[in-house]
Amino acid sequence: MLAIRYSPLTVRVLGEQPLLQVAGLSKTYSAGDHSYVALDGIDIAISKGELFCLLGPSGCGKSTLLNILAGFEPPSSGSVTSNGIGVTGAGRDRVMFFQDAGAALFPWLNVEENVRFGLRVRKVPRQERDFIIDKYLRMVGLDHHRDKFPSQLSGGMRQRLQIARALAVEPEILLMDEPFGALDALTRRNMHSVLLAIWQRTGKTVVFVTHDITESILLADRIGVMSAGPRASITKVFEIDMRRPRDLTDPKVAQLFRDIEALLAPEIARPQELDKMTVED
Amino acid sequence: MSQVSGRLTGQSSVPKQAKANSRASGRSSSSRFRPILLSAASLLIAVLLWQLLSTFVFNPFLIPPPLAVIRAAIPMLLSGEIFADVSISMVRVLVGFLTGSLAGIVLGVLLGRVRLLHDLLDPILELLRYLSPTAMIPIAVIWFGIGEMSKYFLIFWGTFFIVVVNTTAGVWRAPMTRQRAAECLGASRLAIFALVAIPSAVPYIVTGMRVAMASSFMSIIPAEILAADSGIGYLLQKSALLLQTNRIFVALLTICILGFAFDRLFRFFVDRVLTRYMFYIAIA
Repeated sequence: MLAIRYSPLTVRVLGEQPLLQVAGLSKTYSAGDHSYVALDGIDIAISKGELFCLLGPSGCGKSTLLNILAGFEPPSSGSVTSNGIGVTGAGRDRVMFFQDAGAALFPWLNVEENVRFGLRVRKVPRQERDFIIDKYLRMVGLDHHRDKFPSQLSGGMRQRLQIARALAVEPEILLMDEPFGALDALTRRNMHSVLLAIWQRTGKTVVFVTHDITESILLADRIGVMSAGPRASITKVFEIDMRRPRDLTDPKVAQLFRDIEALLAPEIARPQELDKMTVED
Repeated sequence: MSQVSGRLTGQSSVPKQAKANSRASGRSSSSRFRPILLSAASLLIAVLLWQLLSTFVFNPFLIPPPLAVIRAAIPMLLSGEIFADVSISMVRVLVGFLTGSLAGIVLGVLLGRVRLLHDLLDPILELLRYLSPTAMIPIAVIWFGIGEMSKYFLIFWGTFFIVVVNTTAGVWRAPMTRQRAAECLGASRLAIFALVAIPSAVPYIVTGMRVAMASSFMSIIPAEILAADSGIGYLLQKSALLLQTNRIFVALLTICILGFAFDRLFRFFVDRVLTRYMFYIAIA
């Protein structure tokens, strides 16, 4: 069972139809007579159980793409389908996970109540709620901190709470927007292990946005590398068929790092384009 | 004890932040009492200075020394005269403040959420809020007479605009990320409004109410001076007509003490009931 999740190739053979499909997507922002084409010609097919990383320079529209996948913003053209059904808004099948846990969590609710929130608004029967809360708080190792408030948690704990809160509503897809970008390096490594363990255990499909090449190599089944905006698109998709946990000193990993960096190098060298960015990333 | 029961019921009504604070400041008893001692010393020195200056430098009739003020206060306290005026004024402040806050919160929450309503009403509010309660005294007397209603109206007027502006801003600025997070978890638009936007606005609402409380204390006095036959403001006015500066100072001190006490009470209430909503400040 686990082997299936390890290898993206197997998954795609088994799942005849991709779980999340983006076809010919573009996004244009207009303000007055100015218009800015943020994304252009994006095609992605993500299989069930896959961990897909969207990697790109800051400001390239990764987060915009993720917001469109989440249903927060409509695409200007093209389509997004999840389970074959068009995405028109936030849906039960997808949960977004934010970098800024301070803003994303409910600071007036304690750990347990934060997880309970989704169960409450989804009208999960009362008698099942405690069981579900227990299960996921234990999974992320927060079951001894139930009464704490988000302001009393460390950055890593806040992100673990966000994971528990998202998993509790049992979505198929986790959309993660640079989730560990604000954490210190050690906590970040720790969160990578937490995420991988949970992913392997639950079989969720994960779309993970990052600008960190190393992070994407450590985590992903496939990495979609995006070009810088305007008209950002996915220039290349790397498949990583390597066992986890991955060793950063492995020559194959180093080679992959160099390949991806070479691909991103022209983007990194175009800072003037970033100045033109009007879109929040 | 409350901690244990909180864990058992899965509900913690008293967040532990307060406890942590007291622990942090309570490293030794001397550091815990130092601010209190300093405050007491500051007040004592001020009173002493006041006594000396009004005895030896200024005309004691214009600035009565503290001892004279106390001598004037004793019969007013004993006869209950001051308490009657205080309670009348405080009822006016409370009625106006509470109704004004309630109306301000209800309208502010709607204005912060319903764009159309905001665009329609905001210009009117923006103009009206420059009319201070004092400016409204003459028309209030014509509309409501010099009875209680005109005072309720004036305090309401002063409170309402401050609370409405703050509440609107608070609801308006509920973090988009938090609302989207709730949306993802399956909250309907109504649920996001009630369970996310409004709680996110609580710190703004509380701040607005504290400012409005101070404004109420400032508004009640002119209202009673100009249009009343009872209350602290009336006491001030009456004492001024009779040139009883001692009694004026008693009334002024009473206002200081009441304002301070009400603010502390309000903060105590907020600490007890709303602390969890004020965490927003710590985490942002």
